Amino acid sequence: MSLSRGRAALVAGLVLIATASRAEPAREAIVTAQLGGAIEIVDLATRTVVRRIPVDGAPAGIALSPDRRRAYVTRPEGHGLAILDLDAGRVLAEVPLPGGPLGVAADPRGGTVYVADWYGHRLFVLTERDGTLVPDGEIAVGASPSGIAVSPDGGTLYVANREADTVSVVDTATRRESSVIPVGQHPFGITLDAAAGRAYTANVTGDDVSVLDLKTGREIGRVPTGRRPYVIALAGGRGFVTDQYAGSVTAFDLATLKPIADVDVGDHPEGIAADSDGRLYVANWGDNTLSVLDSKTLKVLATIPTGNGPRSFGAFLR
Amino acid sequence: MKKITLALAATAALVAATAQAHGPTRRKITESIEINAPADKVWAVLGDMKNSDWMQNVTKTELNGDPAGKFKRVLTLKNGDQIQETSNKYKPDDKLFSYYIDKVDVKDLPANDYSATITVEPEGNAKSKVEWKAAFYRGYMNNDPPPDLNDEASEKGVGDWIKASLANLKAKVEKGS
Repeated sequence: MSLSRGRAALVAGLVLIATASRAEPAREAIVTAQLGGAIEIVDLATRTVVRRIPVDGAPAGIALSPDRRRAYVTRPEGHGLAILDLDAGRVLAEVPLPGGPLGVAADPRGGTVYVADWYGHRLFVLTERDGTLVPDGEIAVGASPSGIAVSPDGGTLYVANREADTVSVVDTATRRESSVIPVGQHPFGITLDAAAGRAYTANVTGDDVSVLDLKTGREIGRVPTGRRPYVIALAGGRGFVTDQYAGSVTAFDLATLKPIADVDVGDHPEGIAADSDGRLYVANWGDNTLSVLDSKTLKVLATIPTGNGPRSFGAFLR
Repeated sequence: MKKITLALAATAALVAATAQAHGPTRRKITESIEINAPADKVWAVLGDMKNSDWMQNVTKTELNGDPAGKFKRVLTLKNGDQIQETSNKYKPDDKLFSYYIDKVDVKDLPANDYSATITVEPEGNAKSKVEWKAAFYRGYMNNDPPPDLNDEASEKGVGDWIKASLANLKAKVEKGS
């Protein structure tokens, strides 16, 4: 990539970030229906599935391009990554990958996508070329990397290593693990609060959330959750954790790190994401539903039917 | 979890070697049965945490803890093996019991990380419907499962066990009413 192209991409990236952070509620939720073998587009105004795009290989993880027009969906039994055009409602390309591609995240500046191999100790790096993604090397991390979070400047990755009980901090320029932060038992989802300099990771078998201070690279707190916490979303000064076995979302205070309440959602909740309106969307794998939750009142506003086995592990609102 | 950790480590090695195999995806099954008895009578049997002899092959139930709070159970099977369970939700008002299995031999139940929710819904005054939803990974957590522990065989094994248990429950409740 030439310097001028790089600069243009950077400027475009900044514009897109500005657009993405504009205060507007999400219009659509993109659901990975793992057992149904499809990606579903849920219209959040009418609260219905408006489009179903067949994707085989047990689609699970999802990330969106900075302009929110494309979805990158992992297919752990595929294996590989499917690239979808969300406006056209079709699969643009499939990129084969070895191992067990599950967690996925996109560089907010665009151009690069990271995929975690949860049967290995590595991330796959994919870079954009000619409108598609091509494998472009690997980054060594801890055992069973699961969730990936990317800093807003794209320079740092935070990777939850499920079997290693650690979080890897990765410098994307050198593609090296720069430090390792010990956390609780079996961290899975990881969510960044860049402004506050923190990351949160859900310890699946520890039934708690590890709170990390990014500056010192240390765990600074533990929040107890319901059984089998999985993924965390942040909204209005609160954290929200899906508890798979408990069928609930644990809300906690980001300042005190104390739990506020457990809110019943559906069976086996997995992916969770917040929009700028303070609404939370939760994919209930067991019930085949998407719960809509108000982050202030902690009330379930709606329950939307989806295809079989919704997971939406990653960023899925646009 | 040690077993799973080892399985995963082995899997990682296998994937590195073959790069072709694939790993398990959690399965789910739902079974239900109609019982010719009011929901209260069904719950009186189903909700009795001290005695689950209606569950297929279960000969003895040991309850540790208070059903109103968190509790553990050990179910002894006909062959002497045991299933260790932990309660998740026990709500008599909703006639709902959910639990997960901490430990079971896959030859007794071909599943890993099994969790389930069982509910009783009234269907009129004299009938009820019992629904049993289970979620689990197949019996073999590694790649390239043997035929008896692959996704299909595990779904069938767990499904048959649930169906037999529900039939036993129906027989026990209807006989007693």
